[in-house]
Amino acid sequence: MRSNIQRYIELLSSITEKELRVRYKYTTFGFLWMIINPLLQMLIIGFIFAFIMRQQVENYYPYLFVGLLTWNFFSLTVTKATPSVVNERSLIKKSQFPRSVIPMSILVSNLVHYLISISLLVAYVIVTGTFALQRLHIFFAAIVILAVFTYGFVLITSALDVKYRDVAFFTQTMLTLWFYTTPIIYPLSFIPQHIQWMWSVNPLVAVLSLLHYVFLGFALPPTHVWLSASVIAVITCLVGILFFRRESADFDDWV
Amino acid sequence: MKPIAVKLSHIYKVYSLHHEKPTLVEKLIKGVNEQFTALSDVNLTVYQGERVGILGPNGSGKTTLLKIITGITTPTSGTVVANGRVVSLISLDAGFHGDLSGVQNIYLNGLLLGMKKPEIDAKLRRIVEYAALGRYIDVPLFTYSSGMRMRLGFAVAIHSEPDILILDEMIQVGDQRFQDKTQKTLTDLVKKKRITIIASSHNPEKFKYLFKRIIEVKNGRVVSDGTISTTHY
Repeated sequence: MRSNIQRYIELLSSITEKELRVRYKYTTFGFLWMIINPLLQMLIIGFIFAFIMRQQVENYYPYLFVGLLTWNFFSLTVTKATPSVVNERSLIKKSQFPRSVIPMSILVSNLVHYLISISLLVAYVIVTGTFALQRLHIFFAAIVILAVFTYGFVLITSALDVKYRDVAFFTQTMLTLWFYTTPIIYPLSFIPQHIQWMWSVNPLVAVLSLLHYVFLGFALPPTHVWLSASVIAVITCLVGILFFRRESADFDDWV
Repeated sequence: MKPIAVKLSHIYKVYSLHHEKPTLVEKLIKGVNEQFTALSDVNLTVYQGERVGILGPNGSGKTTLLKIITGITTPTSGTVVANGRVVSLISLDAGFHGDLSGVQNIYLNGLLLGMKKPEIDAKLRRIVEYAALGRYIDVPLFTYSSGMRMRLGFAVAIHSEPDILILDEMIQVGDQRFQDKTQKTLTDLVKKKRITIIASSHNPEKFKYLFKRIIEVKNGRVVSDGTISTTHY
């Protein structure tokens, strides 16, 4: 048992390292891109938003930045992890090992990126003085909910993609819709009260609310909001683990 | 009675046939896929230290059989028991990544085969020497020729101290010099460490020297189990 866990961790770190290495090997800017990218995105969207929407949002640029970084983590992980089992067929064909290290390695490498780039925000909140150490545990709670949910979600999509290769296309389309139905470029208060319940099934809403509380000093979301998000995240993760385990027995036949 | 290395009982393997990439849209329109039985009712017991050659034409189920023993895929029904570390050399590119260097690939490959990191650290020099890739060991794998990849794969597999070594059409690795070396290594491994070797081929000539027991597979069934002289191939 212990040696199984050790093997899992060693494999995971090796494949994650490969993931990071391969991604930035041939770019001069390398690691910098992951900070420049959301910054540019923030400026563009912020500029357009100011034109279209006349309503002012308090601290809009940092608000956008938190949302975009978090969203980029989620959407990049889904985009890359969904076809990952198919892409890593050469590993599958070598030996018996827990196949879930493949999507997991994508998640971990993106999480590393996310945490590094979000530390920029820490610098920002220290400067603006809204930083409070006692909110740090809320930050970690938000990251855990996000990671657990994302992991469960990509276990399902990556296992499906092995047998149905068009799942990767479906998830792409779904991500576009998901982006606009998550309060990233607009605050939740823009949504009419009577349909706001629809936003509560999306755990990313609660994650963002928690992060807005941590970094921007917004109001802490009510308990039931982040509690239901945690429950959804855990259920997604469990379903993902069971589904992936069942499906992964014959991945080799399909890749 | 010798200890058992591999025991297969009533193994069936059914694949679904798909002509192009499988898609959800296709599934919804066409429903159930066509099926193809690759193995039916295969029973096989291999004892520790045996060298078994599996003989059969292309498409007879040899590779599927080896993949089931390795655990790369699971049988549709039946049970598989494999005692000890099973290491396979089934497909040329398996367990490698083109963007990583030779050394980085040794780590990736070794971990996949069940080695621990410190174990690979300790054996790295011997693996590099065995593969004899010279300065290529530090360049990305995509620059390697297929012979070089095979050598690297073989070197890692041999040094992972397998209890059971699975070779698919791979008795001939690399150039003549390297082939002689692998033959010698395999013979030594069998003598000294009681390693079990299961290999497949469609060419009985390759089996003459190294394999005493020959199993013939045809259309997914075992049709004979004996020595090279008893095969009708």
